[in-house]
Amino acid sequence: MKKGKPIIILLVGVLFFTITTCGRGDKPAGEGFTIALVMKTLNNPFFIDMQKGAEGAGSKLGINLIVQAAEREVDVEKQMQIVENLIQRKVDAICVTPSGSKEIVPAIVKANRAGIPILVIDTRVDAATLEEAGGRVATFIGSDNVEGGRIAAEYLVKRLEGEGKVAILEGIPGHETGDARLSGFHQVVDRISGIEIVASQTANWERDQGFNVFQNILQSHPGVQALFTCSDLMALGAIEAIAAAGRTGDLIVVGFDALPEAREAILQGTMAGSVAQHPSEMGKLAIENAYRLLNGQSIPGEIPVTIELITMQNADSTSTTMTK
Amino acid sequence: MHALHYAKPVFVKNDTVLEMHHIRKAFPGVVALDDVRFELRRGEVHILLGENGAGKSTLVKILSGAYQKTAGQIILDGQETDIRNPRHAQELGIAIIYQEFNLVPQLSAGENIFLGQEQIHASGLINQREIIASAQDILDDLGAEIEARKPVSELGVAQQQMVEVAKALSLDARILIMDEPTSALTEQEITELFNTIRKLKQKGVSIIYISHRLEELFEIGDRVTILRDGKYIDTRNIADVTKSELINMMVNRELKSHFPKLGAATGEEVLRVSGLNRKGVLYDISFSIHQGEVLGIAGLLGSGRTELASSLFGVGKIDSGEIYIRGKRQRIKSPRRAINLGIGLLTEDRKSQGLIMILSTKDNICLPSVERFSRLGFVDTKEETQAATQYVRDLRIKTPSLHQQVMFLSGGNQQKVVISKWLCCQADILIFDEPTRGIDVGSKVEIYQLMNRLTAQGVAIIMISSELPEILGMSDRIMVMSQGRIAGEFSAGETTQEQILHCALGGAA
Amino acid sequence: MTPKDFLLHYGRQFGTLIGLLGLVITLWILTPYFLTISNLLNVAQQTSINAIIAVGMTFVIITAGIDLSVGSIVAFSGVVLASALQAAIPLPIAILIGLAVGAFCGLVNGVLITYGRLPPFISTLGMMSVARGAALLYTGGRPISGFSSGFRYLATGEILHIPVPVIIMVLVYIIAHVVLTRTKLGRYAYAIGGNEEAAVLSGVNVKFYKAMVYGLSGMLSGLAAIILTARLNSAQPIAGMMYELDAIAATVIGGTSLMGGEGRIIGTLIGALIMGVLRNGLNLLGVSSFVQQTVIGSVIIIAVLMDMALKKQRK
Repeated sequence: MKKGKPIIILLVGVLFFTITTCGRGDKPAGEGFTIALVMKTLNNPFFIDMQKGAEGAGSKLGINLIVQAAEREVDVEKQMQIVENLIQRKVDAICVTPSGSKEIVPAIVKANRAGIPILVIDTRVDAATLEEAGGRVATFIGSDNVEGGRIAAEYLVKRLEGEGKVAILEGIPGHETGDARLSGFHQVVDRISGIEIVASQTANWERDQGFNVFQNILQSHPGVQALFTCSDLMALGAIEAIAAAGRTGDLIVVGFDALPEAREAILQGTMAGSVAQHPSEMGKLAIENAYRLLNGQSIPGEIPVTIELITMQNADSTSTTMTK
Repeated sequence: MHALHYAKPVFVKNDTVLEMHHIRKAFPGVVALDDVRFELRRGEVHILLGENGAGKSTLVKILSGAYQKTAGQIILDGQETDIRNPRHAQELGIAIIYQEFNLVPQLSAGENIFLGQEQIHASGLINQREIIASAQDILDDLGAEIEARKPVSELGVAQQQMVEVAKALSLDARILIMDEPTSALTEQEITELFNTIRKLKQKGVSIIYISHRLEELFEIGDRVTILRDGKYIDTRNIADVTKSELINMMVNRELKSHFPKLGAATGEEVLRVSGLNRKGVLYDISFSIHQGEVLGIAGLLGSGRTELASSLFGVGKIDSGEIYIRGKRQRIKSPRRAINLGIGLLTEDRKSQGLIMILSTKDNICLPSVERFSRLGFVDTKEETQAATQYVRDLRIKTPSLHQQVMFLSGGNQQKVVISKWLCCQADILIFDEPTRGIDVGSKVEIYQLMNRLTAQGVAIIMISSELPEILGMSDRIMVMSQGRIAGEFSAGETTQEQILHCALGGAA
Repeated sequence: MTPKDFLLHYGRQFGTLIGLLGLVITLWILTPYFLTISNLLNVAQQTSINAIIAVGMTFVIITAGIDLSVGSIVAFSGVVLASALQAAIPLPIAILIGLAVGAFCGLVNGVLITYGRLPPFISTLGMMSVARGAALLYTGGRPISGFSSGFRYLATGEILHIPVPVIIMVLVYIIAHVVLTRTKLGRYAYAIGGNEEAAVLSGVNVKFYKAMVYGLSGMLSGLAAIILTARLNSAQPIAGMMYELDAIAATVIGGTSLMGGEGRIIGTLIGALIMGVLRNGLNLLGVSSFVQQTVIGSVIIIAVLMDMALKKQRK
């Protein structure tokens, strides 16, 4: 039995240490509601902005906000576990950006059964799967990603003057967000005969993969003139690959999300443009609508958030992504 | 900073370089050296002679700093010194060349020679060129035709040995210890080595030379010190002593009559080996053993006894020759096959080969018999426990429980577990390789008694041992091996320790 | 077995169990949501996938080996299983296919390690990439989703209010315990890990049993894939990433030594539960996910340090 003691002491010690020193993100329950925000990951400035927007709205409304995320966007199962655990914790509402549009459905069904409303942000849940499982979501808050893809495509085509070789870096396959942006892009580009898509590969939303994959594309298609990426992080990786090949400024790169770093790149000319989504606005709207819902008011089933194209002209203007 | 030169001849008044007095070295349970004395003069080749286990290695390991003496004095150049560790020994000018060389094969000869004492530039980098150049100087001076730049892995054994000698010289060694230096060399190479040794003598280096090859000793040695059973026997000038006197001093001991050997009636032949050959290791080995018989196999290190055992157990290669078990020709290609034929091997090194230290007594005893205890993949744990309990009781294995891990048992009890292992799988041809090495006297007697019980039941035992009294006391027949061949065969009672050792050293039977 | 023998055998696991209990009590004090039946069942369910993979890992580590490919084998078995299900292959056969794919990958590992004499680290590292690549190739990178409710019952169903994956997990552990303690495979696994050379000299067919152990690990990864696919209603080629680390952690926290030759399967279960409880508890307390990673990593390090200290103490 001697052997057991040191283990308990240390485990308990570790637990206490983390609790006391690292902040619980869980303020003592006041009169307010407890709302959870479950994002895909915290390793992406997009979601950090979303968190800030949500926190801002939350503190104004006196809400206990719990923010959780899995370590990586690919970790669908972990996100599911987080949602399940939050159901256990009997939160009042859950706002979620699904890592897997179909895979999140079982968790949503569990929340429904527990009477906890679900607000979906940024990436849609697969409608067919949801219906088949008999689940419901309170609303979807997000940009029209298809429209975003179209805008990006139109700008790209304009810069290429209607003719050229284009490469695409996709998100995680099966993610509704990426699929939507891609389809919007194709809607525009497929109709123009002068534009040729030489490569379309996934970089799984990650920056270093953006670097590696695009470096390979540059190797095999040296004549490529433009790049569209379904997210800025991948674009930021790709422009490093372009720099490594000594071709900075040669290619037209359009990203998506308009992260602060991407805006910098646009101002410097290493990127041509990006589609801004206003994630912090999404976060704010999510919390506000959840609050309304919990107060018995009805909310619309779809809450679109505006998107706009950011280019050198407006890159440093009101960056709505930076909340005060 | 080490000077890159080696010992130059120095003229001193006093000729004695090293004295060791009343040296005692005790390990838990056994005293390896008891009141040993040794004295070394400048520029001499002093042979250290004795059987396996006489204490020679222990003595030189104390000198080289690998062991710490339990008691006694060491006086180096007139000053009493304590040799703390190998590095300290090197600083004192003592270098040792072990039988298994201490070289790094991937590095060059020069790098090996200066390993650990590399010249460092101000920039922090190793001065490669200087190292190779200085190494080449040393090698040339020794007359060794070796390029310092060449990687050691490309050098032959004799050349590697030369590199070791050069390494010792680079450390300004004044005392060089060589442990069995000629065991892997050809005659030509031995001659060259001896030339090198004579050169070293001229430079004033003193050499402690351990070997059992008597002819060589007479060729290269100045004096010889004989150890026996950890005790100092005598020191003589080589010129004044004969071979048989040496052998006598090596083995002359009282045969304590604590060998409870009973004459057992022997039955039919269980194992016969005919013309067994393994290239470079075993030559034309033929013998047989019968039920209830103990065949003792004597010989010195390198005589091929353990290799013979491994061939019989399906581990060592057999190039040609036949093995007959109970009259039928068998090919033994794996230990599993040997076990199925009823052979059990008690290895020299029980800790690393004979037992699984982390497993329990019961698991160790039952391991080769698992197949026997199982049906359809499931093991009958009750049968296992029963069997293990029986052996623990019969062999009086001292353990608090069947589930005690064997690493906690004493040496004697561990050996009993190994024996139980083979009894449990009903082996009736047992090969014991050094069965009582490292075991206290009380347990030794128990093991001899056990051997008697076994032979009375018809078990045949091949006992490989370096302890001559044990061989003489427990064997029905004795086979002496030397350098891979059978050098002599005797019946018990027909021979003496001297005769056995004489054969083992390569003399005619 | 006498009580004294029991302690000798299971002493280390007792310590781990006390660690788990300590954790449970701490969480019970810190949050009222932890010690509810539904949460505990949740934890058990969330732990089940890792726990099952860890059984295979325990066998492998007992033989002094390691299997880094389990996560990738989960992905590959999962996608093959999924395509079989979508091709309207009857459920029991599809399940067998999933298990067989896993077992096959594991046996390839086993053969490379025994006959090919590759170090387990290298061989399974290679398989980790190969299986992952195979999964991506097989599916073109896209997940395969949408299965029958019969299949999904394996993850979502309940028997007497206990989730099916938990029942499967318990069954697997019971069987594994019996195999380890009462079959030839078990005996030989310990012997091989304890001292491979001595095992050979005792007549054990080391090559065969080592290969079997890796095959077993692969098969259990296949079983985990079945449950994971049912749970998410989707087989992703990127599933299972880093699962090997969780499996190794559970095994090591549970007292199985990386040197081989010792370990009890019950320890692995406790180890897996400790990790599941920890994750669940940190979620309930709203601790940030960055901190969660640090905590879990620390627990693994502490557990191994404890283990080494206890061993030194014994000697």
